[in-house]
Amino acid sequence: MSEKRLAPFMEMAQKESCFRPGSTLCVDCMESIAFQNVGRATDNGIKTIYTMGTFCGEVSTLLWPTVVAWGRGDQEATQFEKSFSIIHNVFESASTVAEGIRDTADILLELGALKKPIQVVANSGDGGALVIGLRSLLHTIHRRSRVTVVVLINEFFANTGFQYAVTATPYSETSTTPPGDFIPGNLEEPMNHVGLALMAGAEFVAQVSPAFPKDFTEACERALSCSETAVIFVPSPCIAGWKFKEGRTIELAKLASETGLFPTFLKEKGKAGSLRHVSLDSKQRTPILRFLAPQRRFHHLVHEKNGEPAVVKGREKEVALIQDWANRNVQTLQRLTAWDVA
Amino acid sequence: MNPYGSIFPEVLDLEPLRKKHIPLYRRQERIQMDGNGAAAIASLQFWRAPIYAGFPITPSTKWLEMISTYINAGRFVVEENGRKVSAKRVKLLEAEHAVADYLVGAAAACRELIFMTATSSVGLDHMTETTRSLGASGLGNVVLINVYRATANYPLCIEGDPSDAFAHRDDGWIQVVCRGKQQIYDTLIQLPVVGMDPRVLIPTMPGYYGIKDSHRSEPFFVEPDSKIHEFQDSLIPWRCPLPGLIVGETAMGNCVTSAHFQGFKWEQKKRMDQVLSVLTASSKKFEEVFGRPGIVPFEAYFMEDRPPRVLVAMGPDAGTAYEVIRRRRKEGERLGLVVVRLLTPFPSSLLREALKSAGVIGVVNNAFHSERGHLTALVSEAVSGLPIQTTGFFAGLGGADISVRSWEKMIDLLSVLKPGESRFVHEGEVL
Ligand SMILES: Cc1ncc(C[n+]2csc(CCOP(=O)(O)OP(=O)(O)O)c2C)c(N)n1
Ligand code: SF4
Repeated sequence: MSEKRLAPFMEMAQKESCFRPGSTLCVDCMESIAFQNVGRATDNGIKTIYTMGTFCGEVSTLLWPTVVAWGRGDQEATQFEKSFSIIHNVFESASTVAEGIRDTADILLELGALKKPIQVVANSGDGGALVIGLRSLLHTIHRRSRVTVVVLINEFFANTGFQYAVTATPYSETSTTPPGDFIPGNLEEPMNHVGLALMAGAEFVAQVSPAFPKDFTEACERALSCSETAVIFVPSPCIAGWKFKEGRTIELAKLASETGLFPTFLKEKGKAGSLRHVSLDSKQRTPILRFLAPQRRFHHLVHEKNGEPAVVKGREKEVALIQDWANRNVQTLQRLTAWDVA
Repeated sequence: MNPYGSIFPEVLDLEPLRKKHIPLYRRQERIQMDGNGAAAIASLQFWRAPIYAGFPITPSTKWLEMISTYINAGRFVVEENGRKVSAKRVKLLEAEHAVADYLVGAAAACRELIFMTATSSVGLDHMTETTRSLGASGLGNVVLINVYRATANYPLCIEGDPSDAFAHRDDGWIQVVCRGKQQIYDTLIQLPVVGMDPRVLIPTMPGYYGIKDSHRSEPFFVEPDSKIHEFQDSLIPWRCPLPGLIVGETAMGNCVTSAHFQGFKWEQKKRMDQVLSVLTASSKKFEEVFGRPGIVPFEAYFMEDRPPRVLVAMGPDAGTAYEVIRRRRKEGERLGLVVVRLLTPFPSSLLREALKSAGVIGVVNNAFHSERGHLTALVSEAVSGLPIQTTGFFAGLGGADISVRSWEKMIDLLSVLKPGESRFVHEGEVL
């Protein structure tokens, strides 16, 4: 890699994240990696305010008094631009709370009371933003509020013990869709969250993992510079609930995109978007088995034998249906890259 | 080192907001309007209230409509760098829950400003998750106008009984009951200074009865905006002792273990315990500035001769009770009347003192309760240990008028009912 291509990473790496060490998130948790990276992108000379839903990323980082894993730098901020505030209200309304902060700052700025701008980032899990909090998310987008919404998608309610959420992969095990002889896991197809955010009117929508650092950085920077709502969906492998071996978080995040279950997607309103890190040709695409096999939440469907996936006898149909869903998902997202382009 | 992290007061100066406030009234005037209008006028007169959030529900909707009408007419438009901007805005949200969530963000962003909404009944219920959080949050700069309406939709009734207010007594807010437009207007002006007092920092819920007070007109005095500002600014600090999200480095709404939870709740209780004295002091100031009495914990009528039989009531129908008792006293009956205004924190000690010589107290509840009535329970607790019989009445449920005959009936029943009994009374009949 040439020095020139490295430059943006070097610059990003030198930024000071507002996410501090000390959280009690699981080792290998993607939420933690995402916080670290979004946190760096917010070190852009503008005061940052975070709002939080209730989720792993909140309860493991805002435990008073010992674990408040937030704040930029090791010392209290000496510059307003570097200072950082955070508020948690309830499970399902991080974006509405963010909107309250945004509007207050805007009117104070417009009337000459506030001298410097602020930026607002709303963080929730997929449960908080897409299940119980879908209303909040879509209406904040619809009102074009200038906030960046980050949604960490680990496919269930991890914080309360891995119950089913609307993002769950078909036939996956969750604690409320335990695979049994009669019902083999989750029977619902996931909701089209990317489509919903776009149709509600978001200025920028991305589905991107920090496993693809360049794309992730790009998404964060574009989101933070929007003048209306930007939404970043972060597919987030959850070691405790997906049940995979340590050290495989990044690998699984990449596979989630490459198999078409969570393809990398970036799109700005009115402009052609892009689908990345996934083959558009279903024959060339990484088979979903590669993603399913390392995770014990799919143990009733697939095993990993000598590093290779092997379908459980009698579960061929379910595996084929997941593959079909992944293929359709890529098609849907591909169509969405151009849905509002004349 | 500041225990809350760095603070950057230099980035925020509220003076431009105060200066750019366009007054609604420049001198005292007597106007005629309904209760929602009286509340809306007061709300619009605050320079500290730049954003009004809401979602419609009868009977509170007119507050929001009226605010919107003034703002959309350009009543608060100012020039800012050659651009016309409104110094006041309306925020229409998609649900009451969202209104409450939005107020959390706004109020936490800047704790010296006042953020208001109005709601009723199931609207307030829909906010519950967040109103309960707000009650504990320290965000005393949130005002929720509760226009009382029967809650629970089986059957749905849009008229005003305070079952919504009572259902939210444990949300941790300061709740004050008003009757009459002047009281509504005056309470709106005074209550934020109690909630925002650094010793208190508790959001406030002024309330009045739907339809009876929200929709019926009556003349009342409005005060010049400048006088309201003078009153509020003399009692509300320019800098909240706790930093907001904008000027501070603040973490709010953390998780704690049970060990720390106790401390937070103890501190919340301590703040609630300050309300009565802060309220009383601000009422004194209110009277000095405006020449009318400020909020009292309760109104006491005909209590000077320590009457043996006393009715305790709430809301606009107490006016009828007043007339009935006045007449019966002329006929030689020693009767007294107490009208509750401060619902939370309930002024138990003061009430105990006022009622200590009574033999029988009839407590008139306007909201359904599985036992003898919320108010009966509160009053019984206040006089517990004294040789006083408390009787619970249910009257005016769903906002029904409590007729003269009903008041007469309740007074008659005072000497008949046994301790602990309760009765529904409607149109002079015992149900
Ligand atoms: C109204 C409400 N219902 C339920 C809960 C319990 N609860 C807390 S966090 C949570 C799940 C969070 O899931 P998600 O948003 O997906 O985030 P994750 O923990 O998976 O990161 C639930 C169900 C709650 N706090 N509030
Ligand atoms: S349970 Fe999952 S989402 Fe929660 S901290 Fe652990 S890895 Fe992260």
